[in-house]
Amino acid sequence: MKLITSLPLIEILILFISAFLMPFVRKNKNIKIVSVTALTFSFILSVVIVINVLQNGAFYFNTGYIDTILGIQLYIGPVESLLNSLFLFVIILVACFSFFTIDSEIRENRIKLFYIMVNLLSASILGVIFTNDIFNGYVFIEVAALTSCGIVVVKETQDNIKAALKYLIMSTIGSGLILMGIAFIYSFTGHLNIDLIHQAILEDYTQYQKALLITIALFTSGLGVKSAMFPLHTWLPDAHSTAPTASSALLSAIVLKPFAFFLIKIMYRMIGFDLVNQFNIITIILTLGCCGMLFGSLAAIFQKNIKRLIAYSSIAQMGYIFFGIGLGSPFGAAIAVYHMIGHAVTKSALFMCSGLMIEKTGYKTIDNYKGLGHEMPITFALFTLGAFSMIGIPIFPGFISKWYLSIECIHLNQLLLIFVVLASSLLNAVYYFPIIINGFFGIENLKNKEYHSKKVETQKLLPIAALILAMVLLGAFSKNILDFISPELH
Amino acid sequence: MQYLLLAPILFPFILSIVLLFNKWEEKIRNRWVLCGIIINFLLLIHNVFILKENRIHVLKLNEFIDIYIKMDTAGIVFCFLVSFLWILTSFYSIGYMHDERKQTRFFIFFTATLGVTNGIALSGNLITLYLFYELLTLFTFPLVIHAGNETALKAGYKYLIYSFGGAALSLFGMFMIFSKTQSLDFIPGGIIQPVFTKELSYYFMAYVLTFCGFGVKAGLVPFHSWLPSAMVAPTPVSALLHAVAVVKSGIFSLIRMSYFIFGPTVIMLIKGNDFALVFILITILTGSFLAIHQKNLKKRLAYSTISQLGYIMLGLVVFNPDSFAGGMLHMIFHAFIKITLFFCVGAIMHITGKTEIQEIQGLGKQLPILMWCFSLSAISLVGIPPTNGFVSKWFLAIGSLQTGSFVIPIVLLLSALLTAGYLLPIITTAFFKPIPAGESVYTEPSPFMLIPIIILTGIVLLTGLFPNPIINILDTIAISVI
Repeated sequence: MKLITSLPLIEILILFISAFLMPFVRKNKNIKIVSVTALTFSFILSVVIVINVLQNGAFYFNTGYIDTILGIQLYIGPVESLLNSLFLFVIILVACFSFFTIDSEIRENRIKLFYIMVNLLSASILGVIFTNDIFNGYVFIEVAALTSCGIVVVKETQDNIKAALKYLIMSTIGSGLILMGIAFIYSFTGHLNIDLIHQAILEDYTQYQKALLITIALFTSGLGVKSAMFPLHTWLPDAHSTAPTASSALLSAIVLKPFAFFLIKIMYRMIGFDLVNQFNIITIILTLGCCGMLFGSLAAIFQKNIKRLIAYSSIAQMGYIFFGIGLGSPFGAAIAVYHMIGHAVTKSALFMCSGLMIEKTGYKTIDNYKGLGHEMPITFALFTLGAFSMIGIPIFPGFISKWYLSIECIHLNQLLLIFVVLASSLLNAVYYFPIIINGFFGIENLKNKEYHSKKVETQKLLPIAALILAMVLLGAFSKNILDFISPELH
Repeated sequence: MQYLLLAPILFPFILSIVLLFNKWEEKIRNRWVLCGIIINFLLLIHNVFILKENRIHVLKLNEFIDIYIKMDTAGIVFCFLVSFLWILTSFYSIGYMHDERKQTRFFIFFTATLGVTNGIALSGNLITLYLFYELLTLFTFPLVIHAGNETALKAGYKYLIYSFGGAALSLFGMFMIFSKTQSLDFIPGGIIQPVFTKELSYYFMAYVLTFCGFGVKAGLVPFHSWLPSAMVAPTPVSALLHAVAVVKSGIFSLIRMSYFIFGPTVIMLIKGNDFALVFILITILTGSFLAIHQKNLKKRLAYSTISQLGYIMLGLVVFNPDSFAGGMLHMIFHAFIKITLFFCVGAIMHITGKTEIQEIQGLGKQLPILMWCFSLSAISLVGIPPTNGFVSKWFLAIGSLQTGSFVIPIVLLLSALLTAGYLLPIITTAFFKPIPAGESVYTEPSPFMLIPIIILTGIVLLTGLFPNPIINILDTIAISVI
C-alpha cells in the first residue's frame, strides 16, 4: 500500500529529475527521447493511480511521514487522478507532435531548453492538481508560471518576447494575489493544509467573515489571471498566438486548467459549498464566466490570424468552466471539471491542426486557407470534428457540457442563463464554420498559389487523430466520467 | 433483421461515400445514383411491410443521448413521401445538372440529404430528431451554395445562421422539457402529464421556444427570410428544400413536438395554440401578399411556399381530427404540387434562360406539355376541384369551422383569393399573351426532366380524385394522437 500511495510523488519526481538530467544530454534527438520516456512513465503510473482510486477510493500521501501540520500532504481523489492521467495523455501527444515540428519553429540550441521546460511544466501542473497544502500549491503555481513563460519565449522573435513579458508580468501579479490570499488564510486559521483550514473555518468563521470574503476575492482574482478569466485574459491571445505550435497547444489545452481546478479546490474543499454560497463572489464568478463566454467568442469572430482566433475561443471555453464553478452547486463544479477534460483534448487538437496549416501554407491568416481542405483533407477533417465539439453538435463533449450546464441552470431556477450558453455556442458556429466552409468549398482560391508542400506526414497527423478519438470517447463515456467525479464534489 | 430498420438512413450515406471515392464518368455515376435511390425506396417498402412498427436503440450513452429509431405511422408517411419524391428529383437533377459544374459534389450531398431526412422521419425521440435536424442543415448547406458565387455564399450563411439559431431555441425548449420529464421519447398524445397549475407558464415558455425554433425551418413569418434567399440554389435543390427536405422537416418536427411530446391537451391547457395561431395567420397572409409583388418566378413560388406552410401549421394547431388530417394532407399534397411547380420553372430556366414572369409571354404555345403541367398544379394550389389542393383545403376549412371562430375561415378564403392572384397571371401570361417578335423557337425539355413532371402532375390529379386511401391512413394517426 505504501508504494501505491507514494506513486503521485514518484510521478512528479520522475518529471523533475528527467528535466534536470537533460542538460547533460548532448544530442537533441536524445533529449526528445528522455522527455517522452519520463512523460510516458508518469502516464503509466497515473493510470495505476486511477485504477487504485477506482478500487480503493481517494487517498492521502504525507511527504516524508511528517505530521500533517508541518509536512506537505498530497490528496488524490477521483477528480485529481482523472485530470492527472488525461493531462499527461495530452502532454505526451503534444510532445510527440512537437518532435516533428519544433525543429522548424525554434533555433536548434533552444530545443534542449524547450523540453526541459515541458517536463518541469508537466511536473508543476501535476503538483498543483495533487497538492493538499496551499503554500505547496503556490510553489508549484510559480514553477508553472515561469516554465510556461519559458515555452512561449523559446521562439525568440520580437512580438514573441513582448507577449512573454506581458504574460510574465500578469502572471506574477496573479501569483502575488494568491500569496496574499494564503497569508490571510494562514493568519486567521493558522494552517496551510486544506482539510485543516476547512475545519478551522467551520468552527469560527463568523469572527472573520469579511476577511474570509477578501481572501476568496484574492484567490479568485489571482487564479483568474492565470486561467484567463474574462477581464483578466488580456495576456492570453498574444502569448498563445506567438508561441510555437506545440507550446500554444500545451498552454491553451493544459496550463489554463490546473489553476481553475485549484480554484474549485479552494472554493469547495477549503471553504465549503454552503459557506461559499453565502458570499456574492460566486455570482461574480458566474457573471464573469458569462461575459467570457460571450466576449471571447465575439472577439474571436473578428480575428484574422487563426491562432489568435483559437486563443480567443479558449477564453470563451474557460468562461464555460467559470460558469460551472459559478453555479455554486456540486454538479456545476463536476461539469466544470468535465469541460476541462473535454476542452483539453479538443483544443490541443485544434491548435495542432492550425499549426500544420500554417506550416504547409506559410500563411497565418484565415483568408489564405480557402480551398485548403482539398490539399490537406485529413487535417481539415480532424479540425472540423474538433470544431463540431466546440459548436456543440450532439455526442461530442462540447454538447454534453452544454446540456448538463443547461439542465443544472433549470434545477437552480435560472432559465435566463441558458440563453448565454446557447448564444455562446451559436457564436462559436459563427467563427468556426467559415473556416471549414471556405476550406472545403473555396477551391477557386487555390489557383495560382504555391504552397510549401502538399503532403502532410502521417506521424504529424497521428497525435491529432489520437486526440480526436479520445474526444469522441470522452463524449461517449461522459456518463461514466461524471459518475466517477461528481460524488467527490458533493 | 431488425437492423434493416436503419437501412433507409444508412444506405444513402453509404451511396454518397461510394460516390466520394470513385471518379466515375457522368453516365456511370448517374446510374449508380438512380439505382441507389430506387433500392433505398424498395428497402423502405420492405421495412414497412415486413418489419412493420419496429424499434431499435442504436446508441444509448446516458440518460439523454439515446439514438433511437422507431417506425410509426406518421414517420412512415413522411419517409415514404421523401423517398418517393427523391427518386423523381434524381431523374430531374440528372437532366438539369447535365451542363453544370461540380456535379459529383452535388450528388454526394444530394444522396446524403436523403439519409438525413429519412433519419428525421424515423427518429424515435427528440434528441435523435435534433441530431438529424442539425445534420440536415450541414448537408443541405453545400447544395445551397452550389453556384459558389458571392450571392450564393451570402444566402448560405443566412441559411446557416437562421437554422442554427432555430435549432438553439428548440434545444432550449428541449432542456426545459427534459428536466421535468426525464424522457424525450415520442409517445402519441404526449409525455407531459400531469401539469400543475404553477407550471403552466414554464411549459408555455417551453412550447413557445420549441415552436419558434422548429418554425424557423418551417418558414414561420418573422423567421422566414432565409427561404427566399436560398433560391440561389440550383432548381432541383430549391424544389427539394421547399417541397420535402427542409421545410417539411420543420413541419414534421412541429408535428412530433405538438402531438408526441406536449400533446393537444397540454397545449390547450397552456393556451399555446392561441399564441401559435397568431403567428400562423400572419404567416399565411404575409406569404401571399409578398408573393404578389415578386417578379421573379422562383421568388414568387418561394413566398407562396411560406403561405402554404402556414396552412399546414394551421391544421396542426387547431386540434381536431379534421384539421389534423387536413394539415397532414396538405403537407403531402403541397409537396407534390410545389415540387411540380419548381420543376416546371426550372425547366423553363434550363431551356430558355428566362427567370422573370413577363419574359415568359406566349411560352404556352411553345412548350405546351410543360405549361399545362404547370397550370394544373397551380390550379391545384389555388384549391379548385378536382385537384388534390381542394381536398386538403376542404378538410382544413371544415376543421377550422368547428372551432367556432370566424377569423380562421376568413383568412383561409382571403388567402385562397391571393393564391389565385399570384399564380393565375403566370398562366395567362404564358398562354394568352402573344409570342414577342423575334423570339427563338424552344422545344420541350429532355425526357429526364419532362417525365417526372408528367408523373407528378398525374399524381396531383389522381390524389385529387381518389384521396381516400391517404385519408384513411391519416385518420388512424389522428385517432391515436388526439
